[in-house]
Amino acid sequence: MCGIVGSIGRGNDTVDVLMDGLRSLEYRGYDSAGIALGPELQVLRKSGELDALTEVVDANDPTGTYGIGHTRWSTHGPPTDANAHPHTDENGRVAVVHNGIIENYAELKRELEAEGITFSSDTDTEVVPHLIAQRLADGVDAETAFHETVDRLEGSYAIAAIIDGEEAIYAARQGSPLVVGVGDSCTYLASDVPAFVEHTRDVIYLEDGQRVRADADGYTIFDDDREPVEVSIETVSYTAEETGKSGYDHYMLKEIHEQPTALRQCFSGRADALEGTISLEEVDEIPQPDAVQFVACGTSYHAALYGASILREMGIPAEAYLASEYALSPPPLSLGTLVVGITQSGETADTLAALRDAQSRGVTTLALTNTVNSTAARECDHAVYIRAGPEIGVAATKTFSSQLVGCNLLAEELVEGQRDLRPLIESLRGLPDDVQSILDSSAAASLVDDYADSDAYFFIGRGTNVAVALEGALKCKEISYEHAEGFPAGELKHGPLALVTPETPVFAVVIGDDERAQKTLGNIKEVQARGAPVIAVTDGESAADEIADETLMIPETSERAAPVLANVQLQLFSYHLADELGRPIDKPRNLAKSVTVE
Amino acid sequence: MASTTANPLTSAVVLAAGEGVRLRPLTAKRPKPMLPAGTQPILEYVLDALIDAGVTDIHLIVGYHANRVRSHFGSTYRETPITYHTQTNQLGSGHALMQARDGPSGSFLLVNGDQVIDSEIVEAVSTAHDTTATLSIVEGAEADSYGAVRVAEDEITTLTEQPASGEFRLFNAGVYAFTQQIFETLETLSVDRGELPLTDAIQALIDDETQTVSGVRTDSFWMDATHPWDLLSLARELLGRGWVEPSADNDGCYVADTAHIHPDATLVGPVVVDSDAVIEAGAVVGPYAAIGSSATVGAGTVLRDVVVDTDTTIGPNTTATDLVVGQGCDIGAGLTAAGNPTEVVLNGAVYSDIDLSGVLADRVEIGGGATLEPGTLVGPDATIGDGVVARGRIDGGSEVVR
Repeated sequence: MCGIVGSIGRGNDTVDVLMDGLRSLEYRGYDSAGIALGPELQVLRKSGELDALTEVVDANDPTGTYGIGHTRWSTHGPPTDANAHPHTDENGRVAVVHNGIIENYAELKRELEAEGITFSSDTDTEVVPHLIAQRLADGVDAETAFHETVDRLEGSYAIAAIIDGEEAIYAARQGSPLVVGVGDSCTYLASDVPAFVEHTRDVIYLEDGQRVRADADGYTIFDDDREPVEVSIETVSYTAEETGKSGYDHYMLKEIHEQPTALRQCFSGRADALEGTISLEEVDEIPQPDAVQFVACGTSYHAALYGASILREMGIPAEAYLASEYALSPPPLSLGTLVVGITQSGETADTLAALRDAQSRGVTTLALTNTVNSTAARECDHAVYIRAGPEIGVAATKTFSSQLVGCNLLAEELVEGQRDLRPLIESLRGLPDDVQSILDSSAAASLVDDYADSDAYFFIGRGTNVAVALEGALKCKEISYEHAEGFPAGELKHGPLALVTPETPVFAVVIGDDERAQKTLGNIKEVQARGAPVIAVTDGESAADEIADETLMIPETSERAAPVLANVQLQLFSYHLADELGRPIDKPRNLAKSVTVE
Repeated sequence: MASTTANPLTSAVVLAAGEGVRLRPLTAKRPKPMLPAGTQPILEYVLDALIDAGVTDIHLIVGYHANRVRSHFGSTYRETPITYHTQTNQLGSGHALMQARDGPSGSFLLVNGDQVIDSEIVEAVSTAHDTTATLSIVEGAEADSYGAVRVAEDEITTLTEQPASGEFRLFNAGVYAFTQQIFETLETLSVDRGELPLTDAIQALIDDETQTVSGVRTDSFWMDATHPWDLLSLARELLGRGWVEPSADNDGCYVADTAHIHPDATLVGPVVVDSDAVIEAGAVVGPYAAIGSSATVGAGTVLRDVVVDTDTTIGPNTTATDLVVGQGCDIGAGLTAAGNPTEVVLNGAVYSDIDLSGVLADRVEIGGGATLEPGTLVGPDATIGDGVVARGRIDGGSEVVR
């Protein structure tokens, strides 16, 4: 997964437009980057973060009136200068950037090598410029050469290419995101809208199979039969500055603090507190499903665990599946099953594959996503938006909170029957202020002094708080690089307890004072007996705060809303731990924001 | 005579770093610019005025609880980019302005983030600015509470903070335009009294014969809140002018689309009910009530002359007038809070004849059947039990039981 940009019609601003675009796509990958400029083809690329490329650009002062650019997250070949995009053919006539995986590249490479072509990188991408160059050498025109090359590619890709002396950019989409920005006498291309939103908000979301030719006069969109097609231009509402850090040290901290607003937006207009009803107009015609299968990855999978848990409590058989497993080992399902994909970006390749598998088996699919018009939103039968606003930090924070609220709204909409939802609505409406009160007074930062040099961090909980424990551990490992694991509290004694020592703090999520809370208190004593310090994340209903060594308090609320609050405390701990350890919080090593490769 | 320039200024610096000590206990967890003017933060009105006057580049100086400002506005407001500058120690308005030294490049506007202003004042200062500094000047009896000025032609000859004598009629309304000279002048001044007020720098400019400080007279609306009860008169003024969001006017009732008003509830204009707020059956709200986003007014509750901030729940059968309620409060059934002119003691000073039943800071919890005696000030996170008759000052975090 990588980020692509392209720009034509901006004259001497082209280099700046491309570099700014790459900067805003850095969250998609950042182990190498490059640009290619025309009409006199020139390629600059560099391994490392974008700053390394910036130095190269500053030193070379390249000129060009159109071009393409790329920021890379390695899938094929290590992050080296040679593997950085753009890739060119042997004569340097064709430059190509690519996001995704070309599945038949080995076969194409063998064929090209047999014809005497020398490859200079380990990437799957490099077959593309060679194929285009080969067709050009055969005497076909540039546009035909591009179409014929794309026809031969299998797999998932978004590709952009420029050819020496041809004042045009060619691009194609198949399975990886690609959007076109329509400006005044200029055209942009990118993997995601933020790359050009400061120049235009008029956007074309390409469909799979579509191709683009953009030149100084405008653009043409083709289908995979090379026939021009009419497409609609949509106007996106958010601005480039909305993705700035607004004075925070990190996007992650900004997004943690945006949670009250995000939760308010997610809930707004979707519940009637007077009537005690919840309605999601996007899905109000879906009948109650016989069963629900959630598919998701990473943080979204933890939201899926929570969603499945609350649906089961309501009497609907529901399970959460890791999307990467689902498509390859699909569980049985009946036609009355609803498959819900949870994906922040709506572009997560594994989740898309799982949803497509479900769709191929004839069931109804639904996307719970933050990204309007994303692939998941367009491909599924239904889409519910969590309205959290753009999230740039690689570690998901506000979108997880909004996904949990989204799961509640979805569950209440799907499950028929008369219930007085006023207490639930009251607690969900109260979440923004409850989160704000945690942000105002959290003790999480002060724990870091005592626990920053621990061997490992464990997180335990029961019921819906298992999802919180798993998410707390994931956040911790993602950004602090420290070893962290989350467990259902009862599982500790079946193995993981062997890892518990005085050097492994245990975060225990204890909400309310029911049987689950009581049993978790037992688990707290279990680990304390092994010398582990315990940090209770609790509403103070049980004796957890008295037993534990440290306490992170959350306001009292409903059982459904409490996991959101407990998680905010854990987000803050992980953030401050990573900050103390000097980690690159917004761009943790080896990770990227939206994973658009399987 | 200052001639008007064709191009209004496009950069502005906004001072939003201060706590607002006299507005305690409302400012325990947020800076004064984030207190409610009706249902919106005061700072929104300030930024609206700037943007309406043509400003396209906003520099916000933040300090005290800066994250509240950052999280509310983010990187843009009404599509206008905001750059944040952090003032770590609150050492006065001049020191605050210095934090934006690398901000605007040419002449720029400076406004206070805690004072509602009409965009006409900004426009007047912006277009008149052709000297080193331009100040908005208003006339009024309250001159001796502000920075009083003397003006000859359009030039300001004297600036005195809160003069003891009653001889001044003109004063500084807190909207300024400066050239970059202000930064150089500020740099020559020392912070020897523990703070660096902007007025010291303006005084230095007045004293400098090579520089000119001009005044622009205005009679447009501006209003600040000095004490907690001023939020009531501020809301009253804004409601009276219809300067509230949402703007769809229905007999002076400004109700957001996502608000839920029970058919048996009564709104008496002017009143504003913000997004996702709920007014239950039989409630009578207004006149002069500002009900914030996601707030709830319980069944049968009667509210008049109140400011109820975001996320607060007011239980059923409450009667309240002249009451300021912060964010996230939870008030049980049957509260009685009636405002009669009263004496309020705040930070050691005594204020007489104040129409105020009480001020509840953020996240105050009140049980059923409680009473607030006029002028009660309750600190944040305080808990007042069932049936308590509260009076005077109740500290933040404390618990009062009958």
